[in-house]
Amino acid sequence: MSELVLSAWSVVSPYGVGSAPFSAGIGAGTSAVGELDRAAWPGPFDRCGLVPDFTAAEYVGKKGTRTMDRVTAIAVTAVGRLLASCGDELTAHPEQIGLVLGTGSGSVQSIMDFTRDSLVGERPYHVDPARFPNTVMNRAAGQSAIWHGIKGPNTTVAGGWLTGLLALSYAVRLHRGGHCARVLCGAAEEYSTQRAWLEWHGRGVEERESPLGEGGAVFLMETVADAREAGRTPLARVLATRFRAYADRADAQKTLAECVGSALDKAGVAPEDIRLVAPLGAGAELAAPEEAGIEDALGTARPRWIRCRPLLGDTSAASTSLQLAAVLATAGESGLGPGEAALVTGIDRDGTVGCAVLGGPARA
Amino acid sequence: MYDNDERPRRVVITGLGTVTSIGLGVEAFLEGLRAGRSGAKPITAFDTTGFAHANGCEVDDFDPAEWIHQVDPEELGRATQFSVAAANLAVADSGLTPEELRRRRALVSVGTTDAESRDLDTLMGVQLEYGPDQLAPTVARRAQAGRLSTGIIRELGLVDVEALTIPTACAAGNYAIGSGFDAIRDGEVDVALCGGADAVCRKTFAGFYRLGTIAPEVCQPFDKDRKGILTGEGAGILLMESLDSALARGARIHAEVLGYGLNCDAHHPVAPDRDSLARCMEIAHRNAGVKPEDIDFISAHGTGTRANDVTEAGAIRQVFATPPPTISIKSMIGHSMGAASALASAACALALTEGFIPPTINHRETDPECGLDCVPNEARPAELNVVQNNALAFAGNNAVLVLGRYREAE
Repeated sequence: MSELVLSAWSVVSPYGVGSAPFSAGIGAGTSAVGELDRAAWPGPFDRCGLVPDFTAAEYVGKKGTRTMDRVTAIAVTAVGRLLASCGDELTAHPEQIGLVLGTGSGSVQSIMDFTRDSLVGERPYHVDPARFPNTVMNRAAGQSAIWHGIKGPNTTVAGGWLTGLLALSYAVRLHRGGHCARVLCGAAEEYSTQRAWLEWHGRGVEERESPLGEGGAVFLMETVADAREAGRTPLARVLATRFRAYADRADAQKTLAECVGSALDKAGVAPEDIRLVAPLGAGAELAAPEEAGIEDALGTARPRWIRCRPLLGDTSAASTSLQLAAVLATAGESGLGPGEAALVTGIDRDGTVGCAVLGGPARA
Repeated sequence: MYDNDERPRRVVITGLGTVTSIGLGVEAFLEGLRAGRSGAKPITAFDTTGFAHANGCEVDDFDPAEWIHQVDPEELGRATQFSVAAANLAVADSGLTPEELRRRRALVSVGTTDAESRDLDTLMGVQLEYGPDQLAPTVARRAQAGRLSTGIIRELGLVDVEALTIPTACAAGNYAIGSGFDAIRDGEVDVALCGGADAVCRKTFAGFYRLGTIAPEVCQPFDKDRKGILTGEGAGILLMESLDSALARGARIHAEVLGYGLNCDAHHPVAPDRDSLARCMEIAHRNAGVKPEDIDFISAHGTGTRANDVTEAGAIRQVFATPPPTISIKSMIGHSMGAASALASAACALALTEGFIPPTINHRETDPECGLDCVPNEARPAELNVVQNNALAFAGNNAVLVLGRYREAE
């Protein structure tokens, strides 16, 4: 069994399209959350982490994008930029490349607009057939595959804020099961007026005002040998993912501490080797237990903390993937150093916690 | 790929939980499959005024309070209610006590097409009438795809668990079962609760209706006069564990999971691709270590649309010199979307142990373009060893699962 490394990544974020603005923004710690143009984006929020000037026509192209929704355009753009950065060799055997993409519930805007058309149209079937596939939640992953000719396993994963971590775990399992030679893995989320209203009503009062964000991140996962052969620097080894559940919010901290402890054990990483920590930091009631749980697990270790949430807004299903990207952005072009490790965590309001442990090359 | 010196664990199905329009619980489902029962009837989920015809296959006798014990059913959308009920049924069927289950490291993966789009329909109705500031918080909160799997965790009180929802549309059930298979095979988890769930909703009905693919009365896969699909609903959850674990606790084994294959046409958003589907079957056979001639019957995706049935039959003929009997339980339970391949997997497991091939009902005359033995109208007794379950989805996502009969003497 061969361990997987992350060897390339791409991001579409409120800092802009591409990893360069993302790295600069995360590095400087400047927030990308700004005023929302209320004419273009009516709804309950006046601030948002919006990808600036992003449209499908602008970034995917005018041809064939008339009905492409925002989350699909974000995914197609992120996957396209990743592939472009890797060269043609990567897709020489497209049936051996898997694509695992996380989503919240697809595009709730596309889904609910379709229902609206059925409810208000002259006939209940006066809906646009070309938009029907947008209402199915594997649309972003499927269009990314169609657009870029990726013919291996194509899987959509959903799990609230933990989506990116679950996609990572699924991708590792898919590879280990022999279903693909390499796998592209990440998550995408769009800002829409409809998502904004659902979040507004679904959230507790204390976190209701917290701005939303959007974006996507996609990673290339391959074996060290494949990365070296292609001339790519392994940026981080995927050492462990772990998940646990809590029934009572009072147990969230303890549950995350156990989860991180178990992941460190599996990874064979000592707490003091953790150099970077990127927590989710979501929800008024869950951010503090998350940080406390991490500190419980890491003991006296003093890692550098990367807090994405205040910088990007609540990017929902894309959150943990963007945290992972922030770790790679911070580690830089040569990746995590020998013996260094990083931790990405999340606590979801539905009672689940998760984390991933990444490592640099084993110490000589 | 596995190293040669590693011995992956064998994976078996020891619990089945089924919520279907032809019966709740595995015994009722089995009885329905044997009898060739039809779940088709007029849709009640939404106001069907304005549609010239609106039959579907709804689960019409489902009282959530009867099947869900720990979580308030109000906090769960209809698809999650099905998912949680099916998980409870699967655990009960496996003979594992909840305490034993909680002590094991678990994976929960639930496939879906629409997740809680039924709730999203409702919310849109409210929004049109009263405005977007009047949406019910409980409904907004529960209308999330992730809930289909986390609902099971909450109901069963699982702690050491990874839970993911796999919204890979109409092939999602097989995707979810495959992920559980890989996790157990590799020793990553001790038990997996995997399958799929969906609820009938206006959005999906209107979309298929607009595409001209909704049959006016019944679903007739592979029939020369077939007229399309009937949208359906339900959930199928399989409890899987390693063979050693099942033997150690003396569990009844429904079937062994031999392997599965996935691929993507990467060609068309809705039209299936024959060559790509054929390749997916070949991948599944290779992964499962079987040859085409080993397959005793195929549970087809078999939606009853012209495009699907001809393409799927063509792919089968491409892979099989002599195609085995090929049936579609969608003739009985309609197209239950993300639950479809999970329920079909459950049907395959039952067929293996009970020794029969479920029928394709509503059948009058086989379409010569399909040219398959679809076991018309009546179940057929058969000694079965290996069966194949096909699933296709929008976006060209194919998933083929291979199950085998477990024999103690082996």
